[in-house]
Amino acid sequence: MNIIEVKNLDFEYPITDDEGNVIGGNKVLKDINLVIPKGQFVAVLGHNGSGKSTLAKHFNGILVGNSGKVYVNGIDTADDDKIYDIRQTVGMVFQNPDNQLVATIVEEDVAFAPENLGLPPEQIRERVDEALNAVDMYKYRLHSAHQLSGGQKQRIAIAGVIAMRPECIVLDEPTAMLDPKGRKSVMKTIKRLNSEFGITIVLITHYMEEAAQAERVVVMDNGSIIMDDVPKKIFSQVDRLNEVGLDVPQVTQLAYELKKEGIDISLEVLTEEECAEELMKIMNKT
Amino acid sequence: MLKDITIGQYFPGDSIIHRMDSRFKIVLDILYVVMLFIADNFISLAIAGLFIIMAYGVSGIKPIMMVKSLKPLLPLILFTAVLNLFFVKGTDEPLVQWWIITIYWEGISTAIYMIVRIICLIIGMSLLTYTTSPIVLTDAIERLLSPLKKIKLPVHELAMMMTIALRFIPTLIEETDKIMAAQKARGAELDTGGLMKRAKALVPVLIPLFVSAFKRANELAMAMECRCYRGGDGRTKLRQLKAAPFDYMIFFLMLTVLGFIIVDNMVF
Repeated sequence: MNIIEVKNLDFEYPITDDEGNVIGGNKVLKDINLVIPKGQFVAVLGHNGSGKSTLAKHFNGILVGNSGKVYVNGIDTADDDKIYDIRQTVGMVFQNPDNQLVATIVEEDVAFAPENLGLPPEQIRERVDEALNAVDMYKYRLHSAHQLSGGQKQRIAIAGVIAMRPECIVLDEPTAMLDPKGRKSVMKTIKRLNSEFGITIVLITHYMEEAAQAERVVVMDNGSIIMDDVPKKIFSQVDRLNEVGLDVPQVTQLAYELKKEGIDISLEVLTEEECAEELMKIMNKT
Repeated sequence: MLKDITIGQYFPGDSIIHRMDSRFKIVLDILYVVMLFIADNFISLAIAGLFIIMAYGVSGIKPIMMVKSLKPLLPLILFTAVLNLFFVKGTDEPLVQWWIITIYWEGISTAIYMIVRIICLIIGMSLLTYTTSPIVLTDAIERLLSPLKKIKLPVHELAMMMTIALRFIPTLIEETDKIMAAQKARGAELDTGGLMKRAKALVPVLIPLFVSAFKRANELAMAMECRCYRGGDGRTKLRQLKAAPFDYMIFFLMLTVLGFIIVDNMVF
């Protein structure tokens, strides 16, 4: 079963002159085809301006393409009557946690989405508690949102989406404004949602270390998908990634440099443990 | 300087005041203000003062917070007092007559009554925000105003705007501090010079603040849409407002006191 299907999607932002007349278009997405099966953890990688955030906004009908289609659970996102079903199925988390929280008190913010869905109060309470437990923030439920750290705020924003019980969560650079500690806690939460609750995750990012933790990596450049594979296969193509302005995880870089010096090491290493293992193998051989 | 603002501050707690129906709290507060301004003798003002101090007592809010809420309005209180002191004319002989200043006994008493009234008014209003979460407060306002929907007043939208404004006050204050620091680092003189010069110096602070506020509004609107926001129709609430017998009890007590003060004024 596929949760998101993108077919021949094109999108352009109109360019206007000083008087507001449309004088052309800035093509951001070019003929995108992408299928995301249920339960997958996909990372979308690309540098600034590659179109990755624009693509993400098509997944729940915030933007609708100029041509081509996006289907969520088989429903066309251009269908205005079904738009709330789509938004409930595919939740979205943005970069700046401060600009996503609506209410002052944590639990009231998490309740925002179920309130919009018109659920009875007992069910709202149940969902709020469930969502706060899922991101491990239950004990902060009565705190003011502005007193929390960036990572905690972002986890509240995630809880606010989980309270809709979505099947898929799209996260648009959720860690870009966080400190390393907050980044770690958010990544841990995302992975847990995927493995424990079976929620499909689409993580838009430009951090290689985060993309390496996904099951599948989609690389975008200049409005097109240029690579789509498991992380190991993607990151072993060091030259190709450098060409489009992306780095590889540090351990992969190390393996790459060693290989250039004539050492027979696999480039399919993503974590420090894997790298150490590979190095051990080589040292044992000699 | 911006950190001193206590309006909209909320202290979570579990006292009977916290648990009261917020609609009743608002109505009570309005009645209390009416009571303060009807009361014009010592006994009735003393009752009003005692009433609010007792309310603070049971609410568990620290008494220091009463003082804190008064601090920003101190100039206003003094101004009103001085005005009353000098300009209220009495029937008896003036107590002091010197140059253009004449002070009557009535002036002194009106000034003192005015001070007590304003102090009670402010701490009374503060008690409402101290013990009621902003969301519940706006919720209550929405409910109280809901009859006005019939004359096409966008009640839900107004309440939502208030919620968001309250949510963003700390965020924007933080941002203002940051921009001020950034402009100071570039040589802007924000704390020196005359009034005009200072006002002009604020322009480079306000423009980035506005730009960022609009950007935030845009992102927030998108995030709200993603969370299925579609206006007030069909929306439910996590917290239901339920009036308990206690709310009615306090309400009738308030009416009784108010009635007593009115009678008291008519008799004396």
